[in-house]
Amino acid sequence: MRIAARGLRLVILAAFAVFFAVPVLWLILAPTKADGALVTSSPLSFGSFHQIALAWDHLDAFSDHIYRAWIGNSLLYALSATAIVLATAIPAGYGLALGKFPGRRVVLTLTLVVMIMPAAALVLPIFLELNSLHLIGSVLSVILPFSFFPFGVYLAYIYYATAVPRDLLDAARVDGAGEWLTFRHIALPLAKPIIALVFFFSFVADWNNFFLPFAVLADSSQYPIQVGLSDLLSSTPSFNPAQGGGGQQVNIFRPELALATLIAVIPVAIVFLLSQRALVRGMLGGAVKQ
Amino acid sequence: MSLPALTSRQAEAAHPRGLRAARMRARRVPRGLPFIVPYLPFLIAFGIAPMLYALDLAFTNANGGVTGFRNFTRTFTDYRFVPAFNHILLYTGVWLGTLIVFVVGLALLLHGRANRTSSAFRFLFYMPGALAGAASVLVWLFMLDPAVSPGSFLLRHVLGAQLFVQSIAPGNLPFVFAMIAFWTGAGGWIVVMYGALNTIPHELEEAARIDGAGPFTIALRLKLPLIRKWVAYMAILSFATGTQLFIEPQLVNEASLGMVPDTWSSNQLAYQLAFRYGDFNGAAAIAADLLVIGLLAAVLIVTRTGLFGRED
Amino acid sequence: MVHVIQAVRTRRRSRPAIRAVLAVGLAALMASSVAACSGTSDTTGTSANAGATGSSAPGKVGGSLTVWVDAVRLPAAQAYAKAHPNVHLKIVTYDGDGNGATTLQAKIQLWNRTGNGWPDVIFSEQVNDPVWMAQKPFDFAAPVTGLIPASLLSQWPAPSTAQCTINGTQYCVQDNLAPVVLWVNKKLMDQFGYQVPTTWQQWAAIGQKVATEHPGYIIGTSGDSFSHWIYLWGNQCPLEQLQGSQLLINTADAHCTEMASLLDPLIKDGSLPPLSVFTPDFAKKYGGADDKVLMMPGPGWYGHDLFLATLHIPAGQMTTAMPLQWENETPITTGQVGGGPWIIARHSKNLATAADFVTWATTVFNPTGANARPGLPAYGPVAAQWLAGQATNPYYASDPTPALKAASSLIWKGWNIVTYPDQPVWSNTVVTGLVAGKSLSSLLPAFGSALGQAAQAAGYQVTK
Repeated sequence: MRIAARGLRLVILAAFAVFFAVPVLWLILAPTKADGALVTSSPLSFGSFHQIALAWDHLDAFSDHIYRAWIGNSLLYALSATAIVLATAIPAGYGLALGKFPGRRVVLTLTLVVMIMPAAALVLPIFLELNSLHLIGSVLSVILPFSFFPFGVYLAYIYYATAVPRDLLDAARVDGAGEWLTFRHIALPLAKPIIALVFFFSFVADWNNFFLPFAVLADSSQYPIQVGLSDLLSSTPSFNPAQGGGGQQVNIFRPELALATLIAVIPVAIVFLLSQRALVRGMLGGAVKQ
Repeated sequence: MSLPALTSRQAEAAHPRGLRAARMRARRVPRGLPFIVPYLPFLIAFGIAPMLYALDLAFTNANGGVTGFRNFTRTFTDYRFVPAFNHILLYTGVWLGTLIVFVVGLALLLHGRANRTSSAFRFLFYMPGALAGAASVLVWLFMLDPAVSPGSFLLRHVLGAQLFVQSIAPGNLPFVFAMIAFWTGAGGWIVVMYGALNTIPHELEEAARIDGAGPFTIALRLKLPLIRKWVAYMAILSFATGTQLFIEPQLVNEASLGMVPDTWSSNQLAYQLAFRYGDFNGAAAIAADLLVIGLLAAVLIVTRTGLFGRED
Repeated sequence: MVHVIQAVRTRRRSRPAIRAVLAVGLAALMASSVAACSGTSDTTGTSANAGATGSSAPGKVGGSLTVWVDAVRLPAAQAYAKAHPNVHLKIVTYDGDGNGATTLQAKIQLWNRTGNGWPDVIFSEQVNDPVWMAQKPFDFAAPVTGLIPASLLSQWPAPSTAQCTINGTQYCVQDNLAPVVLWVNKKLMDQFGYQVPTTWQQWAAIGQKVATEHPGYIIGTSGDSFSHWIYLWGNQCPLEQLQGSQLLINTADAHCTEMASLLDPLIKDGSLPPLSVFTPDFAKKYGGADDKVLMMPGPGWYGHDLFLATLHIPAGQMTTAMPLQWENETPITTGQVGGGPWIIARHSKNLATAADFVTWATTVFNPTGANARPGLPAYGPVAAQWLAGQATNPYYASDPTPALKAASSLIWKGWNIVTYPDQPVWSNTVVTGLVAGKSLSSLLPAFGSALGQAAQAAGYQVTK
């Protein structure tokens, strides 16, 4: 009975593991094969490294190296927005956690509410607003909304409210350090772990955002990679056969599309690989503390 | 979706006594305002103002005249409105169901054996989260194509889909989208639930075991009630997120020769109204409908689940 | 003469040195007269015409130019760039608004809002795109008269020009003509001992016969986003008929229902599968060296684009036959799939080069052999050359050009071009139903009411 239950548990877990892992595995293997081979050979077989190079050449040649531009744009948008997030959210969290001023609770509640609201709900309103301000189509119309990251503020707030030894800050103040110096020399160095966390969440959220740049950017050379992928999907014959036979010259077929997808997730995958352990340990740590 | 949850645990970790002490100190020395000044413009410009502006547009016409609820009734009677809301409600329902059953089930299965297999499984479940957005849809477009899918056997013999167009038949779509969302998001939630389960004191479990409770009973009677608020949080948050569906149907529309309409979800309809018809007031009305759903969910979570520390 | 006057005007208007302007004007004169009169244009589309221009628009050809093209038009754009080193050409490949996508509407709304970013030239796969592009709120298209010499414009066939004329002004030039003909696999027909049909009834009879005698072979498809243009437009089914300010949409018309009843048994027996010809699934099932395409009503560009490049059907099999006739009804009419237009942006800061690009792509670009343009060029002189090339093209089992030529004047005029795309309506109301095993006849009413809804949403008044 015990053994049967244990066996069943493993079978269920293994079945889900297959569900979660096989598509990823397929995606990694797809660019190693030619388009025809994807259909004829076993789905999870390895082709050759040469095919990857070939697929990359095709992908890179698409629309005058636009794929590189898309990756570059994503890096630009995600990194610059995340820099602004760090510059605004860490002090804000500090101010909200340790400050006392009129409206503090309102700001905190608004931050929480906007943070929990699905980001997509705000995209059209933000578009309408930027439109009325004639900001549509500029790079800022992506970076500035990305720079508002209430979750980062909340993270910093929780951290300063719970994890930073207050005595340390008080001691600094007793020594006559001003508010700014206390923050600069005591609170900020203490915030290293939270800076990493905010960086992670903000970067991932920006990198994966599709709807906002899709709605506000007009020029395909301004697209971040997520919107680029959709562009690639719709302007090549892999899934959009209107491009039909004539699309042969574009040379973007399923292996190229798979490669494009794979490269597009590498930065996030790295962050994910690094983060899971830390996150789980953090959670366990929190549990122990309680 | 899992992201806020991962750290809202820290909210729980927030030490109530420490908070109270902090507040008392704060009362003595009013301070902190300058630190939130750089953040405030962003909160106002991209958090508050868009909502207010969307509401303003929703209640006016193109010339700025006040129209009351006319934009709402007008969009409600649009022939695409009800189907779109039906789609997203069905999708959200399917997704919520699978999410609650499988995430809780898998977390319970994983928990209690903090060994290497457990962490390996958690890692496997969690990794697809890296493929969010367009990437996940692209992957699943391949997975749903019987010609290339490693699961073509299942597609052919379980779903009866010989061809890609059969995989994405209209009746399948809510399930397809729910599966994509589950595939990318469930792993993160499993990690969260697993972490929440770890906060259950060992003594409680030991006591139950001494009383003769088996692993099943412990899981259902002891562990499940203790993570109930996390499940509620996941459900409300996912409900709100589910109603905002955009990218999945958008990409499937592009990949399906128009067999999947470009107004499949409500957000798509709002987008089409704005971009195809230049009807910003109508788009704002639908955006406002969706905003209200999101806002209600958020307020519900903040005020009811008690997961987010706001000091009192 | 016109060109000389234009050249003089050019000189008066523009700032650059007179010599340069004259050179450009002369080049324009030469290029266009060569193309228009003798028809001996550059057949490789790459070398001889470097620096030449077919445009007489004010200004100098050169500078930078942004063009949006679908994948099929990419070679033309690339060839232009190669032939015009003085033009810095930025080519953006997009979905071409294929299958009734509304990519361009969203994009143009955005560009209009940003006040910049418009491309200079757009190619669209949708004949109906210029209609809304020429009107508010989009206001995108520039009239081509004045940009492209009238002597050239006059060499587009009248029906083609009509499709580009909105409220009396011409806003585009068509790249190609896309009348539907009957494609026939001569090798298979001979092998099975079938006669090439001339009527829809004979065609359907063969479909039922082949379904029993040689199951798996097909006489067409019903699953494309444009299948209704092949069967319903071709058979005079009034689904998009402008009558004054009213739009007639009547799926109950006998022309619609009789065709649906004819097709239903074929869809059921598998000889007319509800599958798009460009899906990988279709290529796998019906394409390749042992292809299963017995016949296929479809546009002229199927020959190169579909049979050769996508399905890889071997040479010596496919050819065309006349569009099918309904019993003995006359006149014979046919449908249209494609005929995509080139549109110049009125916002272009380089109208001269934009016009030159469009002129070159439609009146000069005409490579031969394997790189030949896929469809019958719309511009008369190039069409003549193209047809001459296709007549002896060894890919075809026999000369495909007589039917192509004849069909181009048979397109039924009772199907008007409207501002909304009807393809998605067909795809998501009918094709999905056919895939699920429903009959076309049972889906027609739903198709009609969905078309009506789309038309009303686009601002049309609908009658039934």
